[in-house]
Parts: sequence; structure tokens; C-alpha cells
Amino acid sequence: MRLHFADYLIIFLYFVFVIAVGFIIKKRIKSSNDFLNSNRSIPLWITSLAFISANLGAQEVLGMVASGAKYGIMTVHFYWVGAIFAMVFLGVFMMPFYYGSKARSVPEYLKLRFDEKTRALNALTFAVMTVFSSGISLYALAKLLEVILGWNFDLCIWAAAGIVMVYTFMGGLTSAVYNEVLQFFLIVLGLSPLIIVALQDAGGWEGLKANLEPQMTHAWKYMDRAEHNKMGINFMSLIFGLGFVMSFGYWCTDFLVVQRAMIAKNMSAAQRTPIIAAIPKLLMPIIVVLPGVVAIALMQPALASKGYAIPMGANGEIDYTMTLPSLISHYYPTGLLGVGITALIASFMSGMAGNVTAFNSVFTYDIYQSYFVKDKSDKHYLNVGKMITLFGILFSIGTAYIAASFNNINDFLQLVFSFVNGPLFATFMLGMFWKRTSSEGAFWGLLGGTIAAAITHGLTLAEGKGGWIAPMFPISSGMGQAFIVASFSWLANFVITIVVSLLTKPKSDDELRGLVYSLTEKVYATEKKWYLRVGPLSIILLIITILLNFIFF
Amino acid sequence: MLKKLNQLSFVIGLFFILVALILLVGYLLGASLKQPINLYSGLGMLVFGIFMVLIKEQEEENHS
Repeated sequence: MRLHFADYLIIFLYFVFVIAVGFIIKKRIKSSNDFLNSNRSIPLWITSLAFISANLGAQEVLGMVASGAKYGIMTVHFYWVGAIFAMVFLGVFMMPFYYGSKARSVPEYLKLRFDEKTRALNALTFAVMTVFSSGISLYALAKLLEVILGWNFDLCIWAAAGIVMVYTFMGGLTSAVYNEVLQFFLIVLGLSPLIIVALQDAGGWEGLKANLEPQMTHAWKYMDRAEHNKMGINFMSLIFGLGFVMSFGYWCTDFLVVQRAMIAKNMSAAQRTPIIAAIPKLLMPIIVVLPGVVAIALMQPALASKGYAIPMGANGEIDYTMTLPSLISHYYPTGLLGVGITALIASFMSGMAGNVTAFNSVFTYDIYQSYFVKDKSDKHYLNVGKMITLFGILFSIGTAYIAASFNNINDFLQLVFSFVNGPLFATFMLGMFWKRTSSEGAFWGLLGGTIAAAITHGLTLAEGKGGWIAPMFPISSGMGQAFIVASFSWLANFVITIVVSLLTKPKSDDELRGLVYSLTEKVYATEKKWYLRVGPLSIILLIITILLNFIFF
Repeated sequence: MLKKLNQLSFVIGLFFILVALILLVGYLLGASLKQPINLYSGLGMLVFGIFMVLIKEQEEENHS
């Protein structure tokens, strides 16, 4: 793939704009609250698009296209079974606690609801995960640009991290959020022409169905038994593991995304943020799943004349990660090629800036201010927040080089994510909806759930991974293994939390007011127009989601 | 004009108008960009960019 002047000009223009956004926002930053929390002043349309864009990192975009090629339309379950239901649940039931409690972060909510040690456990694991995630995203982008464009790996890492650093350092969370919206539109508009031309080349949806095995074009039909589909799981594991535990664990408790809703102007906007975000999320498979399915169809003998193939990896097997870059390279001419490459760069920056801004909020408020230096001036915490941004970027660069040294570190990190996020949702669910949940119950449940995840991983083996205790239960795909690990960790947390809570003393009702469902004044719709209310919007979304599942059954 | 740079929708609109102009001018003048997909994508981005710029202007009028 070779870029020309017009391509470089578009990439350069994008860099100018993201840095300019940082400069524009800079003059609004007066306090640590402005820098780390955007002073809860961001309009709804921006928080909603930033909510979805923070999740639209390079790993998400490249990974979902790769999964589309590997597993087919079943990949839409991440959206139509997982994300949408969880986002609606977050908006309707959980945002009133996050926003209403005035907590500045998810770990701070845990402190208010439970105690310091539960907050510390969550804050530390989250801080470490965000830095590693940001670094691996940086590594992935630099590697991609090195492979497809021949750019220097080190230069890519330092230049990309430098640009993110400039705009997050100057404008903090607001700057990151504003750029996420620009990045969202760039990803959508930059990749839309690709799916149109590639799908047309493959003969449209009918062409896909004619050229692919039926498992690739049905979302549910082959999920009766694990051996009937490429993901290697049945519908029960999918609904519980992905639809309930993993998705709710991520969308409802991960501060990276929840932070975008917590900076909305008021409670109504905070509740609607994930619900409005669910509308583009519902359609996102067109951009990030369908290209993968089309790519595999184009490789079938009947379409061999199109001359497209996903590149092979060093092991002689299809390198699914290269599906999207290879489609861009095949279909985009000079000009649009620059837009496509910029969209890939934008997806990386969106993910990295999201991680860095969530990291500096949690580190400043939940670690530094809570355990190291209390009762200093706001100016002090503003400066610390800025310094932490620099350190966060430098740590990310460090982890990017660690990732370059260990080729399985990404798998390891994903595993750690499923260990931590899976059980966490049980802690929140019980904490928010069962007032008897005690601080001891929450802490030991969280710890026990994480250990249960490790044990489950040690007893299952998928694609050569896991089974380090004893490979007693083989699973045909790594994704299926992740669902099962998450399910067991959630169950373990759920049971341990209940048992320990029943044996220990809960907090008093007075302490839990505003933090637990039964002790919180219910928020009723304040918006006059029905289409601005959380309830009707949620119902319409869920009906459309269910219909889509039937259409692609 | 400078005040409008504080509005995100204006900034996004401006970005896509400029990208669209690169694609469209390139389509008209440069041989390597003379592909229909550049023309159609450029037109699409131009319409989107103008929409984003105008939608904010209307909001401004409503506020004033």
C-alpha cells in the first residue's frame, strides 16, 4: 500500500484538527473538576457519541471485522445481545446511582456504597488495565502502520502518543471527549464507502448467502449446539456469558465508558446518554462486522475473479486481524485511502485518549487524593491531573514496547479483563439492588470471583490457551472460553457476596440512602415530549433490537 | 468565525468540508484521484460537513 500527497494531506489535516480542539478547550480549564470531570457540562449529543466512541478503539474496529470474517454474522451478538441491553440497563437503572450519588468515578461509588478496600481493589486493577490497554492499542496501531505502509515502528509510537498527549494535556477530559466525537464521524464516514463497494462486489446480501456456508449468515439458527457453529458455544452460554455477564460487566461498570455519561449536564441527560448511544451502536455491525463477512465471501472460488484475499500470517493461516486493512488497500484509491488510514488512526486515538483520561481521573481522585496527599488546594489536584496525563502516556508507551516483546500479552490482557470485569457486575448488581449486601461481602465476593475466573481458565483449554491447572474441558474457540470464564466468575462472586453478606453486618439505611434502589427516591420522567423520555426510548430500542435478531435469525 | 470554533459541530463540519474539497478537487485535477468512489465520497462528506456547520448556526439563531 502506497500513500500519495492527497492521502498525507488528509492525515495531516486530521492531526491539525485534533490538536486544535485541545487548544480551543484549553482556555475553559480552570479547575481539577474541569480537567478531570468536564465540570458535568457536556451536551447530550456529545456525551452519547463519546460514550460509543470511547469503545470504538483500534482493537474494537479491527477485532470486530476480524471476528466477522472468522465467525460470520454471529459476531452481531456483541451488539444485539450484548451491548444494547446492557446500555439500556445502565441508562434506566444504574445511572441514577452513579450520577445521583455525586461520585466522581466508579471506584468512588464503590467507596460510598461499601468501603475503602473495595474502592482500592477496583481503582488499582482499573488503573493498571487502562494503561496496559492503552499501550497495547498503541502497539497495535504502530505495528499495523509498519506492516501496511512500511512506516517506522518507533516513530509511529512516539508521534501518535505525542499527539494524544498534546490534546489530552491541554484540554483534559473535554478535549478527549470532543475529539472522540470527531473520531466517531471519521470512522463511520471513512469506512462507509468501503462496505458499499465491497458488498456490491460480492453480489449484495444474496451474493453473500449464495457463496458462504449457512453458519456465516445466520445469527441464531446454528446455536442449538456448540459443535454446530464456528464460535463453539450454544445459545445458553452466549446469552448468559456474553449477553449478561460480559456485556453488563463492561458497559455498566467500566469507568472508561460510564465516565462519558457521568459528565452530562443533568440526571435526565446522564440517563439518556447510553440510550442515545445505543442507536448508532445498533447499526455499528454494518461498519465493523459486515466487512469481515464480505471479505470471506470474496475469497470463495465463485468470486476469485475479484482478486481479493485476506493475507496469511507467519503460521500459514489466515491473519484475520489484517481483514480491514487489506479491504482498504484493495478498494480505496488515492484520496479515499488517506481517509481510510486516518479512520484507523482515529480509532486508535479514540481508544487511547479514553483510557488515559479515565486513568488520570481514577489515579488522581481514587489513589492520589485518597491515599497519598489529602486536603490540598484544587490547583494542586489540577496540576497532579495534568502530570498524571503525561505519566499515563509514558506508561502507555512503555507497555507498547512490552507488548512488542511478548507476542501473547494481548491475549493475557484480555484474559485479565474477563477476570476483573466479569465478577464486578455481580458486586454492582447486588450492591445497588440488595441493601443487605455488606462491605465485607462485596470485597470477598470480588476477590473470590476473580480467583474463580483464574481456576476456570486453568481447567479449560481453547485454541492452545488455558488449561494450566489441568486441561479437563476443551472448548473450540477462545471467545467461547472467555464467555465461560466470565460466567463462572460472576456466579462465584454472586454466591460468595450473598453468603458473606448474610454473615456480616450491612451499613445502616441512612448511610445507603441514594446508593441503593430501595432507599432512593425514584426519578420520574421530567421531559414533556415522549421521545425525550428514558422509558419510551428504551422500549423502542429493545423492540428494534429483538426484531433485528429475528430478521437475521 | 473564531467564536464558532468553540462549537464542536462547526469544527467537525469544517473538517469534513476540507476533506471533501481535497477529494473533489483531486478528482477534478489529479489523475491518481480520478476515481468515481472519490467523487461520491467527497460529495457525501461535503453534504455532511455543510449540514454540521449549518445545524449549529440555526441553534445559535434560536438562542439569540
